[in-house]
Amino acid sequence: MKAQLPPRSAIFCLAPILALMALVFLFPILLMFETSLYRDGLSFDAYFALLTSVLFRRVLLTTLQIAMLSSALAVALAYPVAAHLARQPPQRRALLLTLVLLPLWTSILVKSYAFTVLLGHGGLLNEMLRAFGLPEVQLLFNRTGVVIGIIHYLIPFAVFPILTNLLAQDQKLKHAAKVMGSGPFLIFARITFPLSLPGVLASFVMAIVLSFGMLVTPALLGGRQDIMIANLIDFYTRESLNWPMASAIAVVLLIASGLFITVLSRLQQQTDASA
Amino acid sequence: MNNQLDEIPGLAERIYRGMSSVIAWAVYAFLFGPTIIVMLVSFSGAKGLSFPPSEFSLQLYRIFFNSPQWTGTLVQSAIVAILSATLAVSIGTLAAYALSRAHFVGRDILKAILLAPILIPSVVTALGLYLYFSWLHLSGTTAGLVLAHSMYVTPFVIITVSAGLQQINPNLEAAATVMGAGTATILHRLVLPLLAPSILAGALFAFLMSFDEVIIAWFLVGPSTKTLPVQMFSSIQWEISPILAAVSTLLSLLSLLICLAALAFRNAGGLTVLSKSSGTD
Repeated sequence: MKAQLPPRSAIFCLAPILALMALVFLFPILLMFETSLYRDGLSFDAYFALLTSVLFRRVLLTTLQIAMLSSALAVALAYPVAAHLARQPPQRRALLLTLVLLPLWTSILVKSYAFTVLLGHGGLLNEMLRAFGLPEVQLLFNRTGVVIGIIHYLIPFAVFPILTNLLAQDQKLKHAAKVMGSGPFLIFARITFPLSLPGVLASFVMAIVLSFGMLVTPALLGGRQDIMIANLIDFYTRESLNWPMASAIAVVLLIASGLFITVLSRLQQQTDASA
Repeated sequence: MNNQLDEIPGLAERIYRGMSSVIAWAVYAFLFGPTIIVMLVSFSGAKGLSFPPSEFSLQLYRIFFNSPQWTGTLVQSAIVAILSATLAVSIGTLAAYALSRAHFVGRDILKAILLAPILIPSVVTALGLYLYFSWLHLSGTTAGLVLAHSMYVTPFVIITVSAGLQQINPNLEAAATVMGAGTATILHRLVLPLLAPSILAGALFAFLMSFDEVIIAWFLVGPSTKTLPVQMFSSIQWEISPILAAVSTLLSLLSLLICLAALAFRNAGGLTVLSKSSGTD
């Protein structure tokens, strides 16, 4: 016997969310599309301007480079954490999971500020190096700073798809391999890791989607050469007040994210089906 | 599956486990280290940040709470977060209930659309809202920001409350219907009391998300409606003042407190006797 909500009650319950989403989400996005396509009537000027803009091309390339590099490194660092969590008994795992969840709920401003305190010219790291008579390292206001900041942001997100996969793996395969005399390194290389590849891929794609839209980290930890797409949208919106251009870039970002999200949900469906 | 080989780890096994634990703990340290160091440094006084702090001083906190520029944005953030969380919880709870208990064509598509604001980059939503509110003459208003943040945090409320609804046996509602209760009575007398832990957890997360949100607020606020994160963002960009260490510490403590409270609520909810797994009788 299934509880079935009468249609009138269902409509009553859904009306507020539909109104909110239509008025404060869908309509603004549509307006953004319209702004990108309107200049005294339908016009693709903003998009043509994008195609020929050296700045846009450079920023797009920077964004792709930073996103790929940070995502790859974040997944590589998230993997040992997921593997460690998967090995723990459930209660201890829940406790350690809190360690992963807490950074997820920490403001990105706090994290970025922390890195400026640690990595800057007069920062703690450089002071320590000076104290040991070592040369200073330039880790802030350049590519390295942005990548460190973004990796730090991505790791907690990247842990979960891998962890889900590792927990769903059939332990009998490992036992069989062990009985046949395989050591833990061989078991990892031949069984655990290959089986976890869908999780790794899902985690990588998710990291890419998240890093595409980074605004705060490149603004605070990067230099002029490390401006990403979101910063360019911010610049065209608020500094140069070129709203059609800003909107066209946002449309590109929206479509790119949409494609990656579709890939991601396909990957997750596959993982669910195989698990 | 009980295998003897499991219980006595060999040397290779111990090396493998040891190595991977060391790497994992190094990553945990990377995740927590920076925030913890900033917390410690925030007590080093206004002369300059040092680690370890040479003296224990609350001077930075005194400066923070005595400067109207910071306390004003703190109050504004609290107002926006409370209003957004309230709106999001009311709207999100109703939506989660309908999505889990009504069966209609296109329900899965609707669910996907309702969760979209989580997946789309915030800067896209922020630009859309910026254009929309300047068209509606709502730019720089608190009302505009509250609406925007409600939209942004409602999906999280829906997820949290839906998880709670899965724990409640729908047969209870069916029984109440048979006894003649209407939807309003069922919600008020049966579902909401059972859901209270999830709703509270959802409300806390919604509050925290709005309180910490920076990108949408960055696009939407005016000089008199600045929130704390916006003030902090522009402050880090222009001059790195030591007060920021105190602000960071306060924000981290807020996150910690809310996470712990939400976890406590959720665990309390998990102990509900009327959960789906145990509720066949």
